[in-house]
Amino acid sequence: CKSKFEKLRTSNDVAKKYQEAIKLYNKKDYTKALTLFDDLVQRYRGRSEAEDLYYYYAYTNYQLKDYLSARYHFKTFADTYPSSPKAEECRFMTAYCYYIDSPNFSLDQDNTYKAIESLQLFINIYPRSERVAEASKLILDLRDKLERKSYANAKLFLDIGDYQAAVIAFRNSMKDFPDTKFAEEMEYLIIEAQYLYAKNSREIKQEDRYNEALVEYERFIEKYPKSEYADKAKKLKEDILKGIALTKEILATYSENKKVEKEDEQQQ
Amino acid sequence: QLRPSSRNNTPKASDDEIGYLNPKEYTIAGIKINGVNYLDTAVLLTISKLAVGDRIMVPGEATSAAVKNLWDQRLFEDIELSIAKIQGDSVYFNLNLVEVPRVSSIKLSGLTKSETTEIQEKLNNQKSKVVNENLNKTINAIIKKHFFEKGYLNTEIDITYKADTSDSNSKIVFVKVDKNNKVKVNAINIEGNKEFTDAKLKKFMKKTHEQAWYKVFGSGKFIQEKYEEDKDKLVAKMREKGYREAEIVSDTIYPNNKKSINIDMKVHEGPKYYFGNINFVGNAKYPTSILKQVLKIEKGEVFSEEKLEKTLRSSPNSDDVSSLYLNDGYLTFNVDPVQTKIYNDTIDLEIRIFEGPQYTINKIILKGNELTNDQVVLREIRTKPGQKFSKDALIRSQRQITQLGNFDEQKVDIKPIPNPADGTVDIQYTVVEKPSDQIELSGGFGGGRVVGTLGLTFNNFSAKNLFNLKAYKPLPKGDGQKLSIRGQTNGKFYQSYSFSFSEPWFGGKKPIYFGISAFTSLQSNGLANSNPIQQKIRLNGLTFSLGKQLKWPDDFFRVDYSANLQQFKLKNYAGYLFENGDSYDLSLSQVFSRNSIDAPIFPTSGSNIKFTVQATLPYSSFNGKNYDNLATSERYKFTEYHKWKFESQFFQRIYGKMILKAQAQFGFIGFYNKAVGQAPFGRFRLGGDGLQGFDFLQGSEVIGLRGYANNSVVPEGAPTTAGSPIFNKYVLELRHPITLSESAQVFALAFMEGGNTWNRFADFNPFNVKRSVGVGARIFLPIFGLLGIDYGYGFDRIIGNSEANKGQFHFSIAQQLGGFN
Repeated sequence: CKSKFEKLRTSNDVAKKYQEAIKLYNKKDYTKALTLFDDLVQRYRGRSEAEDLYYYYAYTNYQLKDYLSARYHFKTFADTYPSSPKAEECRFMTAYCYYIDSPNFSLDQDNTYKAIESLQLFINIYPRSERVAEASKLILDLRDKLERKSYANAKLFLDIGDYQAAVIAFRNSMKDFPDTKFAEEMEYLIIEAQYLYAKNSREIKQEDRYNEALVEYERFIEKYPKSEYADKAKKLKEDILKGIALTKEILATYSENKKVEKEDEQQQ
Repeated sequence: QLRPSSRNNTPKASDDEIGYLNPKEYTIAGIKINGVNYLDTAVLLTISKLAVGDRIMVPGEATSAAVKNLWDQRLFEDIELSIAKIQGDSVYFNLNLVEVPRVSSIKLSGLTKSETTEIQEKLNNQKSKVVNENLNKTINAIIKKHFFEKGYLNTEIDITYKADTSDSNSKIVFVKVDKNNKVKVNAINIEGNKEFTDAKLKKFMKKTHEQAWYKVFGSGKFIQEKYEEDKDKLVAKMREKGYREAEIVSDTIYPNNKKSINIDMKVHEGPKYYFGNINFVGNAKYPTSILKQVLKIEKGEVFSEEKLEKTLRSSPNSDDVSSLYLNDGYLTFNVDPVQTKIYNDTIDLEIRIFEGPQYTINKIILKGNELTNDQVVLREIRTKPGQKFSKDALIRSQRQITQLGNFDEQKVDIKPIPNPADGTVDIQYTVVEKPSDQIELSGGFGGGRVVGTLGLTFNNFSAKNLFNLKAYKPLPKGDGQKLSIRGQTNGKFYQSYSFSFSEPWFGGKKPIYFGISAFTSLQSNGLANSNPIQQKIRLNGLTFSLGKQLKWPDDFFRVDYSANLQQFKLKNYAGYLFENGDSYDLSLSQVFSRNSIDAPIFPTSGSNIKFTVQATLPYSSFNGKNYDNLATSERYKFTEYHKWKFESQFFQRIYGKMILKAQAQFGFIGFYNKAVGQAPFGRFRLGGDGLQGFDFLQGSEVIGLRGYANNSVVPEGAPTTAGSPIFNKYVLELRHPITLSESAQVFALAFMEGGNTWNRFADFNPFNVKRSVGVGARIFLPIFGLLGIDYGYGFDRIIGNSEANKGQFHFSIAQQLGGFN
C-alpha cells in the first residue's frame, strides 16, 4: 500500500503537487519537497508558475546543503528572469553558494576565486543593492583566505629549510597582496630567510648574501621602527655582521694558505 | 514551374503559369497534408514553417525551405509540395508525405559480449535513422571495418528487420554477424632489396609475420592497423641503418585462400649514407667540443636520423643535448639539425641551436588538492623558487607526488608557465585526488574455523584535526598521515588487534618519518583461564620508529631506527623452545634501504634494497645467571639475539610491457652466548602464501614460498611451528599488465623461485634451495588493496612432510605494498 505522499508523487495532479511541495518546503521537509520540485520544474516549463517554482527549487537545494546544484539553479533563475524582483537575491545567492563551498586555505582555492568573481559581478550589476555591503565583506573574507594561503606556503619554504625559495615566495606574496596584513611579519621573515640562506651558502657567496640581508634589515627597521619584531630583527643584524666577519676571516685564511702553498711550490 | 518536390517533376493543375521565371506573391489559404499515419500534422506544419495567412512568393524561399525542413527530420522517404489550386492571390497547397519506418533499436547476434558493446557504440549514430538500403550499407561497412582492423577480413553480415510493436512505425534491426576466422599471413614477398635480406626485412615488421608453427609470439595474424605501423617501422629501420632514401614503393595484399593472404611488397633501398662534418651554430653556453661529446656521433658513422633525434632530443636517460640545456634553465631551448651538404654518400650537418634565456623558477602553483593540504604536496616538490628551471627536477617532483599515494598517478600534470619579460617561470602542478583509504572486511577459514577480519587504513589522516569536527569527511583528512586499525578474531581461540599511526614529516620541518604501533594477540585452546589444561600464548607489542631520507649517496637512500618491545606470555604452549612463562624481547633495529621503484603496485623499473640489523642487549653477559642449568622460563625471560636481514628486488622492462622482477632475500639470527642458545622468537617461517595471517603469532616472520604449504619449509626434523634462524630465498618473476587503470590494476605473472631454511650457519648453503615454478595474477582495487592468487608447483620434497610440495594454490590479500613477499 502506497503512502499518501507516494500516491501524490506518482499522480498527475500537478496543481496539487505544487501546493503540497510549497507546504512541505514551509514545513522544512526539504527532502520530500525536492522530490516533488524535481518533477514539477520539468512540467511547468514555459508557464507562469515556473518562476516562483524555480525560486523554491533553488532554495530547497540550498537548504539541503547541495550548494553545487543550488548555485546552478540560482544562477539559472537570475539569468532566466532578470527582471524578477527576486533576481537580485538569486544573483547574490549564486555567489554565496560559491562562498560556502570555498574550502580551508590549505586546499585548492578554485571556488574561492569563483566566489570573488561572482560577488564582484553582483556588485557590478546591483551597485545600489543593500546586499553590496555584505558582498564586499565576503570578498574581504575570501581575499584574507588567499593572503593567508600565500603567507603559509611561503613560510613553509622557510620551515623546511629552502631559504632562497622562502625569500622569493615572501616577496611574491607581498607583490600579489600589497595590503596584506602579514606584510610586517613577512618583511621580518625575509631578513631571517636571507640570513639563513647566506649562512648555509658556500663561503665564497656568503658575503654578498649577508649584505643583502643587511639591506632587508635596514628597509624593515625604517618602515617599522616600533615593530614587535624589532628586537628579533636587531639580533639578526648582529648575527649578520658576525657572519660577514667570520666569512671574511675564513676567506682571508684560505687565500693566505693558497699564497703560502704557491710560494712553497715556487721555492721547491 | 513550382516543383520543390524531391522526385516527381510533373506539374500539377494550376490556372496560372507558375514558374521560377515569374514567381508571384500569394497568401496561403490552406495546406492539406496527405499520407501521414503516425505523425502529428500540426507539428509537421510547424516544422515546415508554412502557415495559413502567410504571404509568400511562389515559388520562393519559403516553399523550398519547407521541403528542406521536413527532410531534415529524416522521417520521410518522399516529400512533395504542390499547388492544389489558386484563387486570386490565395494559394492552396497539398503536402504529400511518405512516412518511412525508423530504427528503434539494433540487435546484434553472433558476437561476444564485449564485441557487442563495442559495436553497439559505433552503431549508436544509426539509431532513429530511416530504414532503407543506405542504412544496410552503413551498418555493413561499420561492422566490417571494425573487424577488418582486428584481423577478420571475411566478416559476414546478415541484416533483417522486424516491426517494433512497442513503437509505432519503427523497426528493430537484427544484425547477425559471423566474423569467421582471423586471416593469417601466408607469405610476404619482398622485391627490390639488395643490401637487406628478405629475412631481415621481415624481422623489422614486429607484428606482421608469416605464419609458422614454431612462432610463439605473434601467430601470423594479419591486422591492418598493425601492418600499417609495421610498414613505417620497416622504413624507419632501413633508414636507421643509413639508407635514408629507403621507402616502400608499393604493396598489395591479396587473398591466398579463405584463411590467409599474401603480401607483395616492393622496396627501394637507395644508397647507404654516412655522417660527414657536424657543426654547431648558435651555442654560447656550451662550447662545441662539449656538445659533440654529448652528441656521441662521429664523422663516418652510418647515417641515422633516429640516432640523431635520440642524442639531440629524446634519450631515455636524458643524456641528450636538449636535456643538457633543459636541466640548466634554458626552458625555450630549441635545436634544429639541418643537412647542409650531401656529397656522394656523406651528409654534412649543421646543428642550429637556439638557447634562449636561462629561466629561474619563480612561483610554485598547486591546483586540484581538494582534500590534501598544500604543505603535504609542496614539501615534496623539487622545483624550488630561485633555482634554475630543470626538466629532471620536474620529473622527480612528479615521482614524489605520485608516491604520496593520494593522487591519481596518470593525472599528475606539470606545466611550466614562462614569463619571458623577467626571465622567470612559474610551475603549475595539477593533481587529482583519488580514494586512498582501504577497508578490509573478510571472513575466511583458517585452522578449521571461521576467522573474521576488520581492518581500516586511512592514508591521508590528519591527527591535528582529531578534535575539529568540521574537518571530518568522514574522518579528519589532508595531512598525509597514515592511521590503521585492524582486528581479527575467531571467537575464543584467536584474537588479534593492532593499531598504527605514522607521520611522514615529523615536526613538519624535515622529512623525518615517525611511527608508533601497538598490538596484542591471543591464541588459546578455548578453555577458561582457571582450567589447568588451558593452553595459550599472549603477545603484546609496542614499537616506535624514526626514519629519515638521506642525501648521500643519493636521495633514494633512507635509514630507519626503531625500538621494539614485545612481551610473550605462554601457558602450556608447545612448539616453542619453552612452554610456560613470560618472555620479554626489547630490541633496537636499524634499517638501511634504497627504494627507486617507479610505482607501488606495478613497478616497471627501479630497485628496492633493504638491509636490517636488529639486536637486543647481551643480558647473559652481565646478569650473572648460570645458564647451564637454568629453567627454560628463566632462560628466555629476556630474549637475546642479533638478527641480520638483506632483501633486494629489481624491476626491469624486458619486452613490450613485460616486466622482470628479480628478488633475493637472506635472514640470519645469531646468539651472543652459546650457553643461552638460539632465541625462541622472531624466527623465519618459510613456505606458502607468506600471509601474515592468523594462526601464528607475530613473534615470527612469515616468508612466502609458493609451491609449498604454509610454513612447511623447515630443516629435516625441525617442528614447523617454531620457525628457523636462517633462511634464504630467490625469485624470478615475469609480469605482464592486463589493465592499469585508476579503478583497478591487474597483472598476470609467471614465477620461478627457491628458498630454504637452516638451523645452523655451518649448514648454510645458498644453492641448496627448494625450488618451484608457477603462475598467478594480482588485482589491486583502491579500496580493497592487493589481492592475489598463485598456483605453484614445488619440485623438492620436504623430508617428513610428503604433502608439503607439489601443486599448491595460494591466495593472498592486502600484502604490504613494497614488501618482499
